[in-house]
Amino acid sequence: MLLSHQTTSKAILSGSIMLAIAMIAMLSRGNRPQPPAKTPSVQPAPQPPLLVYCAASNRAVMEAIVSDYARQYGREVQLQYGPSQTLLSSMSISGNGDLFLPADESFITLARDQELIAEVIPVAQMHAVIAVAQGNPKGIRSLEDLVNPGVRLIQARPDAAAIGQLTQQVLSQQGKWSQLEQATLAFRPSITDVAGDVVVGAADATILYDAVLHTFPKLEAVEIAELAEANSNVAIAVVSASKQPRAALHFARYVAARDRGLKRYEEFGFKPAVGDPWSDYPELTIFAAARLRPAIDQSLIEFEQREGVKITRVYHDCGSLVAQMKAGQHPDVYFADDKECMENLPELFPNPVEISQNELVILVQQGNPYGIKTLLDLSQPGIRVGVGHPKQCEMGWLTQNTLRAGGVEREVMANLTVQSPSGEMLVNKMLAGSLDSAVVYASQAARADGKLDTIRITGMPWWLARQTVAVAADSRHRQLANRLLERLDSADSKQAFLVEGFRWSAPTGAR
Amino acid sequence: METVRRRSDTPFFLVTGGISACFILLIVLLVLADIWFITWQDLVEAFQKKEIQAALRLTLLSCTLAAILSVWVGTPLGYLLARYRFPGRWLVDTLVDIPIVLPPLVLGISLLILFHTPLAGTTLEEWLTGLNLPVTYHWPAVVLAQFTVACAFAVRTMRVTFEQMDPRAEAVARTLGCTRGGAFMEIALPQAWRGIVAAFTIAWARALGEFGPIMIFAGTTRMRTEVLSSSVFLEMSVGNLDSAVAVSLLMVAMAAVVLVVLRAVGTGINA
Repeated sequence: MLLSHQTTSKAILSGSIMLAIAMIAMLSRGNRPQPPAKTPSVQPAPQPPLLVYCAASNRAVMEAIVSDYARQYGREVQLQYGPSQTLLSSMSISGNGDLFLPADESFITLARDQELIAEVIPVAQMHAVIAVAQGNPKGIRSLEDLVNPGVRLIQARPDAAAIGQLTQQVLSQQGKWSQLEQATLAFRPSITDVAGDVVVGAADATILYDAVLHTFPKLEAVEIAELAEANSNVAIAVVSASKQPRAALHFARYVAARDRGLKRYEEFGFKPAVGDPWSDYPELTIFAAARLRPAIDQSLIEFEQREGVKITRVYHDCGSLVAQMKAGQHPDVYFADDKECMENLPELFPNPVEISQNELVILVQQGNPYGIKTLLDLSQPGIRVGVGHPKQCEMGWLTQNTLRAGGVEREVMANLTVQSPSGEMLVNKMLAGSLDSAVVYASQAARADGKLDTIRITGMPWWLARQTVAVAADSRHRQLANRLLERLDSADSKQAFLVEGFRWSAPTGAR
Repeated sequence: METVRRRSDTPFFLVTGGISACFILLIVLLVLADIWFITWQDLVEAFQKKEIQAALRLTLLSCTLAAILSVWVGTPLGYLLARYRFPGRWLVDTLVDIPIVLPPLVLGISLLILFHTPLAGTTLEEWLTGLNLPVTYHWPAVVLAQFTVACAFAVRTMRVTFEQMDPRAEAVARTLGCTRGGAFMEIALPQAWRGIVAAFTIAWARALGEFGPIMIFAGTTRMRTEVLSSSVFLEMSVGNLDSAVAVSLLMVAMAAVVLVVLRAVGTGINA
């Protein structure tokens, strides 16, 4: 008897252990990431697979895009589905993942507020419509029909689903929300719940995005005037914590390319965004004032490395760059030393953004031996003064205007020793001791920090140079160029500008 | 001679049978409604999808592993709770029930937080990943999420099993020189065989229906961490109601087969 019991116990233990080992072995073997599909011309990428937090509503289109991408580049992309809010929570807690593709833009805003995402690339637009069963058996054609007591209306909850929030917002503005709210039989947490209700006949109508209807062939859309402006955007964002941002951006660019992913989005019923054409290794051209080089070069290098793109830089003075552009050489991005330069080309650069300001300062020898405090003090007898040439450089032109506006031009020019084509040359002359004082940009003066003293111009109005940047209207890679603009408007960029003596004035500040 | 007039049992059977029949009918109607909703073609198409096949395989393996682990933990814990009065017993008893009462999503978030909260400069996930044992968004997360809930049910079942067993046989064995461990292994465990099968069955069934914690902790990555309950959600989310119902029916069939087999095994051994 005892022997029999011992045998039973041993059988339970050994049997369960063997079974557990078998389960673990099979799970480990069968659920390893699948090796990426290989193409003869492309070497398999050594990187680990990309993890995309993908809203369930984008599942069908994303699976098609991932399949295309794997075929072309042999890289595995794993799609993790769920409701957008749940994905956001998972992303926040786990700190994993490479890309975030929520159901609509509102979750991008939430993720951005929590600093969970970096770059955002627009993908598509969706439009709110009434959804009814095929054939529209209740003959719903308007908002009035929807609130008819004979119609069972189900809606997505405004506090849980983006479509509910959008409907509430748009109809509230028209004073029609409360009527619709009262006529609603029930509110459900997600767009798929309400669509499912109409499919199975539990409801006669609901409001959802037109793109979602593509996956519900048993439903049809009814457009109404009240929802004409009810649009939501879909965008893909790089997760801040991504350990492979370059690979993530490569795939994100593929998704948002007008001749790749966006074609698929169009096939699946979305209205695609205006995307860039696809390029494995795109190239941008930037024209920038030579003076800005120290402030922007590091940003450009980092952008190239992060995005996996090449940036061709053309640094020159304002006049030369404007002349080149007027002659037909159009860059993707132009970073002007002053807004006056940008305003020469309003059609090519319709939306310039001011990034920084550069003020004129008085540069004096260390210890300020002449006790200079204002521009007027430069007229003291015996002081050797240098200024920029008003026709050879913008700084000279600004200096001339500043002296005129202050009513001291004649007095100061009496001491003029040299007019230089650039502020840097004036700084060098100061360092060599051949000048006692010079009027230059603060950014130029900053290069002699510790060797020369700087006096801010006070007591009279002075003119600032405003550095503006813009994407060309005819740029082939507008999305990419816009991301470069964001990089130039970032906290790191701000730091570089401040170190170089510029005043930061970008409207969005450290993004 | 006066005979005692027996009152009819018919009303009793009518009432109890009627109430029982209502519930049974409800379940049967639910399954029939699902079958009515789809066509044979829908079923074939759903089962031909490689994602569904992978989800089926993962579901079977993960549920079985979670159930085995639940029995391993549930048996000694149930035995301790049934046989001994120890300090903090009430607390242990309460803690065991927490996974049962906790909303599934909360359990998923809690697991996610547990594995990603920095402690001493690292996280549990990072440490395990360093050992080449990544958990979050991999199959171990599926098993762990299933185990956390299933084990609580296994503990309850094993506790009741041991409470119903007469402790006298173990006491006699101890008087004959058996240690507590020996009494457990040689007397209690073999006697609890039917309870072990029941605990395994309940744990397996509970693991099969698990969805919320898996979605959050393991994700729903196709071909990797997608189980059948996730498949239903994913198919629903894109309007593939037919596929969703087909997968649901597969789950019903799977559960029925496993429960019947396990019950037959349990009864056979104890017969």
